[in-house]
Amino acid sequence: MAGGFVQPSNAHTGTPRENPLVSTGLQSKAGQGYRPHAPFLDELFTADGTPRATAAALVAELARLGPQGLAEAGRRRDAIFMQQGITFETSAGGASGSHERPFPLDLVPRVLGGEEWREIKRGLAQRIRALNHFVDDVYHAREIVREGLVPWRLVSSCSHFARAVHGIRPPGGVYTHVAGCDLVRHSDGTWKVIEDNVRIPSGISYVLENRAAMARVVPELFASYRVRRVDHYPQLLLRALRAVAPSAESEATVVVWTPGPANPAYFEHAFLARQMGVELVEASDLVVRDDVLYMRTTRGLERAHAVYRRLDDDFVDPLEFRADSLLGVPGLIRAYRAGSVAIANAFGTGVADDKAIYCFVPDMIRFYLGEEPILENVKTYLLSDPEVLEHVLERLEHLVVKPTGESGGKGVMIGPHAGEEEIAGMRAMLRREPDRWIAQDVVRLSTVPTVDSDGSLVPRHVDLRPFAVFGERIDIVPGGLTRVALEEGSLIVNSSRGGGSKDTWVLEDGDDADRAGPPIADTQPPALPDLSYGTWNNQQQQQQQQQQEEPAL
Amino acid sequence: MLARIAHELYWLGRNLARAEFTARAVEAVFHAEIQGAGDTRPGVSFGSGGLLAMLGDVDERTSSGEVLAQLTLEPTHPGSMIASTERAREGARTVRDVISAEMWEAINTTTLRLRGDGPPGWAAPAGPYLASQYVKERTALIWGIANRSMLRDEAKAFLDAGGLIEISDMVLRMLRVALPPGDAANADGHALILLQAVGGFHAYLRAVTAPPNAQPVARFLLFERAYPDSVAACVDSLNEAFTSADAGPRNSKPVLRVSRLAADLDFQRRALPAGAELTGICEQTQHELTRIDQDAAERYFAGAASAGERR
Repeated sequence: MAGGFVQPSNAHTGTPRENPLVSTGLQSKAGQGYRPHAPFLDELFTADGTPRATAAALVAELARLGPQGLAEAGRRRDAIFMQQGITFETSAGGASGSHERPFPLDLVPRVLGGEEWREIKRGLAQRIRALNHFVDDVYHAREIVREGLVPWRLVSSCSHFARAVHGIRPPGGVYTHVAGCDLVRHSDGTWKVIEDNVRIPSGISYVLENRAAMARVVPELFASYRVRRVDHYPQLLLRALRAVAPSAESEATVVVWTPGPANPAYFEHAFLARQMGVELVEASDLVVRDDVLYMRTTRGLERAHAVYRRLDDDFVDPLEFRADSLLGVPGLIRAYRAGSVAIANAFGTGVADDKAIYCFVPDMIRFYLGEEPILENVKTYLLSDPEVLEHVLERLEHLVVKPTGESGGKGVMIGPHAGEEEIAGMRAMLRREPDRWIAQDVVRLSTVPTVDSDGSLVPRHVDLRPFAVFGERIDIVPGGLTRVALEEGSLIVNSSRGGGSKDTWVLEDGDDADRAGPPIADTQPPALPDLSYGTWNNQQQQQQQQQQEEPAL
Repeated sequence: MLARIAHELYWLGRNLARAEFTARAVEAVFHAEIQGAGDTRPGVSFGSGGLLAMLGDVDERTSSGEVLAQLTLEPTHPGSMIASTERAREGARTVRDVISAEMWEAINTTTLRLRGDGPPGWAAPAGPYLASQYVKERTALIWGIANRSMLRDEAKAFLDAGGLIEISDMVLRMLRVALPPGDAANADGHALILLQAVGGFHAYLRAVTAPPNAQPVARFLLFERAYPDSVAACVDSLNEAFTSADAGPRNSKPVLRVSRLAADLDFQRRALPAGAELTGICEQTQHELTRIDQDAAERYFAGAASAGERR
């Protein structure tokens, strides 16, 4: 350092205890020392309440803000979200009908090291590649079934198995263009996949908006960190969609298909369309003529080559799926089969993220890729086996039970948190329809400090949904959406059930040297032009002289 | 661009202009009424009753205070300022990917503020007046942002077209109510209020030498092409907007109809002697605008909706 002075900078002090801001700050300003809840792993603090090395500077900044500063920043954040219309419709709050509230973003970010992230990324890419192989296999040769690894009965009974697309291979052989796997961190520090989403995973818009809001509301938190950017996602997606579009012309027309403004994720649909600079279409805008998909424009019909659809298989084509769907485009599957349009994600991908199929994913990775899985599954019990069922029924109060065909946390029962009655009800349900449910070990989700309503920090459970884009290759945006259960002790992080979110930081490794960017050119800009004082000025002087000469009345 | 999006943008423009001109009318009535009984006090025709008549919704039983409140901040009244703003917000939400983020935010905050979410509320008696002022300022801001941030493409053309057709329609409505035929005594007093309401007083003074009486004011608001909110100027710009958005303007029904209307207005301006009755022209022009609206829906919006569906 210049001059030989060693300043006790937050980022470089060895243990945070040496920094007075941290120890006194958290105890006096935050009202109480932050204590992680054993036995859960806290990502920013060690068990005895000292900040981890990567989090020291962040904790110091949080302490400097204090509860009041955090509460104040929270109000600013809510105002910004209301203004931008980043809101949630909730029916809670009385009979007055639906009520808009700002999207719940917690101001304490989650920090992931560069090395840790690389591991997650490799694991995810591997998993998504295997899932894509599986979808291809299910609708073609069914080799994995013939090998006896996955029972056909399980595949064909999936609620999202789509007979209509049997034998169709989309351009590039890519089915799962957009994937989001839900990860959790166990108390031993390992990352586990808890769920795959390869139909229409949502939440990426909040990753980008959260980052923008954090930079605006609490820029000081970023001061000592180099956080990897996330805002290139729309360009990744656009590139992937263009790559798979069957277009002979140079530029393929890509559209985002939304069910409409009433959809809870409409904000995200519009966000992606705007960020990619493509049209946001509804079913009424689309029409199929002679197995080619067109959209209705002010200049007649125009062709669409690739569709990023954000509605379920069931609704897309009333001729092939649900006949009563008003949101669908008749003939779309025909066009898809003819290869005149690319659909992302492909139809029928729901077989790969079914919860009954989930436990076979490690086998898929070994079978299709010949590799060992990098990310582990959570221990899962398939209840169709009577022996397993009995075993599960005995210890239901220690397990999580999930319905296979649902998503978004619907119908999930967490044994340790459930009442006697609920467990008894579930027991009867499992005996009646064991195929519709799976049981899993309870995962001890890690916690991250979260701002409570009074501005103090409390440990809350989190998961992570990274987003991957599969075009010519697999790209994964650094980090992803961290969802946080805002209620104490709760393990349910779904936003539809009272969860919030956090900005997720993936740190760059390496030093600051390569961050500076190219030097600003050493040129002198010309001086700003100014009013030239000439004739007007003279006139004014004359006026003044005249006033002086005239005697006052 | 997508027919549905063009349609939404067109109605976004209409709703914004409608909110603005409702605000202007409310402000004018408010001013006229608090200035009290003098020689120049306007008759009832441009009071609250006239205001309702102008918006095509006549109910004579309500008192003037109530009328003002209804027309400004009553969300269930379809013709109210807040209802127009709410519709504009819904439309803007649907086309969020087409308009700029800044513009969406401006429309969104205007609506939230009108709902009374932020301080101060809009308590009577001055509430309606303050709210109208606010809407006037905010619509100016929104159009300003649109002009500075939107690409001058089809999207902007349809947004503008909606705004223009609504402005000319509103000006015509005001003219017909404030300056009824054969009521010269009241009409002269109304003319000044009308001129101030549309914000054209200053422009009038600079363009016309005659005192602001009914006849010259009506001519000014109908024919003066140098004044941007006059009917003739709006129709001219509407012609430009449709022509630029149309794939084949030479044989496009709405374009042909608009250009004929523009030529017709120009002809009338030259042909009509000073002091001629203008009511008939107002009526015809308004009728013609309705047909232009229908033609536009048919040609550009995939017949998505006939005019008035969204009102």
